[in-house]
Amino acid sequence: MNFAAPLILTLKLSFVTTVLLFIVGIPFAYWLAFTRLRMKFILESVIALPLVLPPTVLGFYLLMAIGGGSFIGRWYEEVFNKTLAFSFQGLVVGSFFYSLPFAVQPFQASFTAVDKRLIEASWSLGRSRLYTFFAVILPLSRQGVITGCVLSFAHTLGEFGVVLMIGGNVPGVTRVASVAIYDEVQSLNYGTANAYAGCLLLLSFAILTLVYFVNRRFVRTL
Amino acid sequence: MLQVHLKKQWKGFGLDVSFEIPRGKITVLFGPSGAGKSTVLRLIAGLEIADSGKILHGEEVWFDDVRRIDVSPQQRSIGFVFQDYALFPHLTVEKNVAYGVKGKESAKTVKELISLIGLSGYERCYPAQLSGGQKQRVALVRAMAGNPGLLLLDEPLSALDWETRARLQTDVKQIIHRFQSTALYVTHDVSEVYKLADYVIVLESGKVVKQGTPEDVFLGKRLSTRIQVAGKVVGIEHDAIMSSVTVLHADQFFKALIDREEIDGLGLQVGDDVVLGAKSSDVILFKILT
Repeated sequence: MNFAAPLILTLKLSFVTTVLLFIVGIPFAYWLAFTRLRMKFILESVIALPLVLPPTVLGFYLLMAIGGGSFIGRWYEEVFNKTLAFSFQGLVVGSFFYSLPFAVQPFQASFTAVDKRLIEASWSLGRSRLYTFFAVILPLSRQGVITGCVLSFAHTLGEFGVVLMIGGNVPGVTRVASVAIYDEVQSLNYGTANAYAGCLLLLSFAILTLVYFVNRRFVRTL
Repeated sequence: MLQVHLKKQWKGFGLDVSFEIPRGKITVLFGPSGAGKSTVLRLIAGLEIADSGKILHGEEVWFDDVRRIDVSPQQRSIGFVFQDYALFPHLTVEKNVAYGVKGKESAKTVKELISLIGLSGYERCYPAQLSGGQKQRVALVRAMAGNPGLLLLDEPLSALDWETRARLQTDVKQIIHRFQSTALYVTHDVSEVYKLADYVIVLESGKVVKQGTPEDVFLGKRLSTRIQVAGKVVGIEHDAIMSSVTVLHADQFFKALIDREEIDGLGLQVGDDVVLGAKSSDVILFKILT
């Protein structure tokens, strides 16, 4: 068996999930940061659920939602001629929801922290909301945006319960590093399990170090 | 000309104002803290929405609750100068000024504007590297760079020390007049009214209580707990300083005033503009007999 395959799959899953969270999470966090909707706290609670729920609970409901018996699962199977559950795409869906708070919360917090008068100054200078977002809000929120992306990546690297529930353990397709560790321990291959665990430990440490380094540099340059 | 008729109600405070701002002049919106001056400015800018009323800028309707018109701040042709500058901290002086300038001539315009405020050489500096006075100069030309139809200034000099403020008052007036802009300037500092205003609107507790030239407003009936008198030093002979009020024995008064050390320290010269401030309890009014 290829030792690197689960690690490469893990990195690929983390990368795709992070890109998706960036694309979807940025506008969503912007809306949450500036909406005057009174009931937004309910939505915020829903987003934060993965922080407190056991991954197996989230994984179970996601499996129900995208499995062969569900509307989404049947639709996906008809269009793409394969199941969404137990596929890489299914893992991406699971990882997306599992890591959503790790992206949206830092994004939203950093958007909210931007001085409102700077936004108003931009508007009064004739610049649209979209232009203001890219020229003022996003550059001033870069610390939060980078943190959100890196945390999403790191969190996806280490996820286990959700991917096991949705993806199972299909070598080369859904067998990510965390599942491989579990699998190797079950087979009493502690050496291989240790190698995978060491790789994830180093990678996670490197990512967190990067986050703290970037944040410190940001504070210095502002 | 800008015509403003606005009403807005909060818990415990109501705003109900109607006034007109003459074109090409500096109109000062004057009043104590909490009178609603800044709110009026924000309503005109479209940064807040009134409950009812109308804002007309020339032929353009910016706000009309009956016709459900509420033009966005971006479409109102305004420049807004904030009390605490609101310069973009991640952009250089050059890029801050260029932010509101569109078109091919923007680079040339920006260079001229930076030169106008005496900050040539500071183009690549960030706001954090500037003094308070320099920041406010940048904020002023940034607001004017897009050649707005109306310039709104919300206590722009109040965060500065007395000396810088006095110097900048002159600069602000010169720059605004040079651009022939129509400006609405909010302040609670009466000296700024005399220094800057062509026209004054006095706001108290959310209502316009008086409007006119500074002389009309402040030399007429007293409006608040303080009275301010403006004049010009026309000579160093004490009885000639305010000959129109010799009935008040101005010669002795000014002699006593000028003999005080702090007055000497001001270094007054013939022709200097001065503002005389006094508590209402210290002023006695006499009827001039003709």
